[in-house]
Order: sequence, then C-alpha cells, then structure tokens
Amino acid sequence: MAVPRKSVEQSGGQGGDPARPPARVLSPDRERSLHRRLVARDEQALVELVDVATPWLLGVTQAMLSDRDESEEVVQEVFTIIWNRVDLLDREATTLIPWLLRIARNRAIDRLRAGRRRQRKVQRLESSGGPEESFTPATEPDEAARPGWHVHESVHAALRGLPEEQLAAVRLAYFQGLTQSEIAERLGIPLGTVKTRLRLAFDKLRVTLAPIRDWVL
Amino acid sequence: MNAHDWFVEHRDTFVIRGLEPEEERVFLEHLAGCAECRDEITRLERDLRWLPMGVEPTAPRPGLKRRLVEGALGTRGRRVRWAVPIAAAAALALAAGTWWTGRAREQVLQQRVAQLRQQLDEVRDTLSIISGAGRVLQASITMDGHQGGLMIFADTKTHRWNVVVHGLPPAHPGEVYQFWFICSNGMVRGVQIHPNEVAPAFMTLGMPNDGGEVMGAALTVEAASGQSPEPKGKELAHLML
Repeated sequence: MAVPRKSVEQSGGQGGDPARPPARVLSPDRERSLHRRLVARDEQALVELVDVATPWLLGVTQAMLSDRDESEEVVQEVFTIIWNRVDLLDREATTLIPWLLRIARNRAIDRLRAGRRRQRKVQRLESSGGPEESFTPATEPDEAARPGWHVHESVHAALRGLPEEQLAAVRLAYFQGLTQSEIAERLGIPLGTVKTRLRLAFDKLRVTLAPIRDWVL
Repeated sequence: MNAHDWFVEHRDTFVIRGLEPEEERVFLEHLAGCAECRDEITRLERDLRWLPMGVEPTAPRPGLKRRLVEGALGTRGRRVRWAVPIAAAAALALAAGTWWTGRAREQVLQQRVAQLRQQLDEVRDTLSIISGAGRVLQASITMDGHQGGLMIFADTKTHRWNVVVHGLPPAHPGEVYQFWFICSNGMVRGVQIHPNEVAPAFMTLGMPNDGGEVMGAALTVEAASGQSPEPKGKELAHLML
C-alpha cells in the first residue's frame, strides 16, 4: 500500500490506476517555491495554498469541532497566521502543509478546551453510541484528483492496520481531541488501558507512516 | 520509575495533545530544560506529521476559498487597530498571571487569552511593518484648535502601509475624515478614519488595485454622504513618497 516518494512525485499524469484520474501533487520544488513566494508576500501563492489545503484543514477542524462555522473560523485563523508569519516555519523540522495541519489541529483543540463544546460533544458521542466514522474509504473515482489523496490513502491504510480497540482510542484522541481520561470515561475502560492502547497504536503508526514522512502533497 | 520516566512514557500523548491541561503545562515546563525529550518530540512530530490526513477532506462551501484569501490578506474590511502595543502586552501578561489563580475561571480566561493572542498577533504584525518600513512620512494637522498628525510607515517589501492618525477631534456632524491614495492616474479613495481622542487610530492598508503607481497620500474632510471619486472637501494633509 505504501507508495515510495519517487513514484508519488512522478504520479502527475502517467502512473496509477488508469481508471482514475492522475493524482495532483505538489512536487518538492513547487512546495519550496510556494514557501518562497509566501515569504515574499505573493498573494497568488496564498490563493494556491488555500486551494490545495482547505479541504484537508476543514476535514481536521470539523472532525474536532463538529461545527461548520467554527471550523471555517479556525481555518481562517490558520491562513491568517500563515500569511503573516510564514517566516516562522522551520523548514528543517517540517514542510508547509504539515505545518498548516498542525496549527489547525492545535487551534481546534484550544477551542474545544476553551468552551463547553467539549462537554457537549462528549455527551453527544455518548448518546450516539459511538465515535463518528472518519475513515470511510474513498469510493468516488474523481477523489483521486484531489491534491493529497495519495497521502490520505496511505494514512488511511495505516489506521486500518490497527486493531479495532486501538483505532477507537486513536479516533477519539487524535481526530476528535479528547484527553486520555475523557476517552477512558467515554469507552468505560480504565485510564491505564487507554494509555496502553494509545502507546501501542502510536508505536505502530510511527513505523507504518515512516515511509511517507518526507512526502509532499 | 523516576520522574523522567513519566515524561518518556507520555511523550506520544503530549505530541497528540492527549494530556490533561495541567499535565500538558508540566510537560511544557519539562521540555524547556530537557534536550533529550525535545529531540524525541521533534522526531515524533515528524513521524506523525501526515496523520491528520487520515480524516476525510471536506468540500468548502461556495465562496469560502475566496473569503479565506480575503480574510488572510485583510482585504475583507479594514482592520482598525486601537490597541496600543504596550497595553496589549501588559494585558496579556495580566491575563496569563490571572490564569493560574483559579481553575474556576479557566474557561473565561482561556477565551480572553485567545482574544489577546489575536490582538498581540496584530500588534506584532503592526510592529513588523513599522520596523520594516522603508519610508516614513509625517504631516502635522491643526483642526479646530487641536494639534494632530498623520504618519505613514510604508513597508516597501510587503507593499503595505501602517497609517497612524493622532490628535484629531471627531469629525463634525455630516462629515468624515477621508484617506486617499495619490496614484499616477489620479486619486483613489481609501478608508474613512474615525479619530479617537484617547488613542491614535492605527490602520494597515494594502495598495489599491487600480489607479496605477501609488505616489503619495492625502487626508481630507468630506461630506459623509458623498462618494465622489475625487476629493471635494478641505485637504488636511498631502504627503508624497
């Protein structure tokens, strides 16, 4: 399932399933160029970045906040930060899109923990009987044309490789922003069990995601 | 298990922000003095950098991408900044100090800190323009016995101006203070300014899209109901680059 970086960079038209449109990608050169242009305050670079990243940022924030308006507010904050503080990006440590994703996730968690939304969400999850499904496999053929789809598929495969009880803990912790004690309460299991499941899950994810860590969208 | 073992055991939980708020604070304090944990946190973040892409992408609502761009550029309405940098920083410090006095007020304070952080970001942005300004223009203005002024910090790198108007009384009823760009093809209407006698008015302005090359700026008093493309009223300041 894992796709080596080289083949991803070459997937802009020739490779892949012929039944699907080719995946759109940001090559490392284009990613670097985008960063340079953002630093130089090129507004068109911001337009391009918004075009590529918005669906994924909305996916992250909406999974956390379960509120479309608030989710869009967080994404707005992310792009405002990027536009004004792109010089802060440590290019040795990360690249543009993962930086955006991290800011979006952190901002969403901050909001979650700042208000009562978190409590309401836990109650809603309890009443609905289970966490929201975030990992439905792609079925629409044109989704492969979305920038980043190849990364999504690889992450998705890594998550599907986890035992169900570990995946449930990861869903609640990583994609819905609950703390360990909240997960224990939600799942009705001891805190130590939650810690163990998360530790095992992330140990495994580090290994399975290692081949794609240097990818670009 | 010694104290450091706890941090080793909870590194991954810290990275995914699964710790309780108090534990997270303790972990952050520990990181400041532990290079080993910092390095491992960096490695963890790098290994998991794409994990957020496990969610399904969400199609933006119509017009959202345009609004996001405009919002980031600051062209969706003008940001009028009344915050004085020192006051914002002091308020942030006060809020931060108050934070730890009681968990009962934690939620209210978190919201306040978020607001102040936003203000601080804006102040930093303002200061970055001021400190990076390639040109500084200044004009003194006397209005109804008040001595005020117009200052423009022109950041030639980002093509933005920080405009400061200070010391002016409120406009007369039915009138407004109008800021104009002087361009190679004529005057281009900018923003209306509503002076405050207590604090200066700060604005960050991008360059107009039409009118050609920006050569200077002017401040006039115009009829509030007027929308003339050219100044008609009394000119208070006229500055050329």
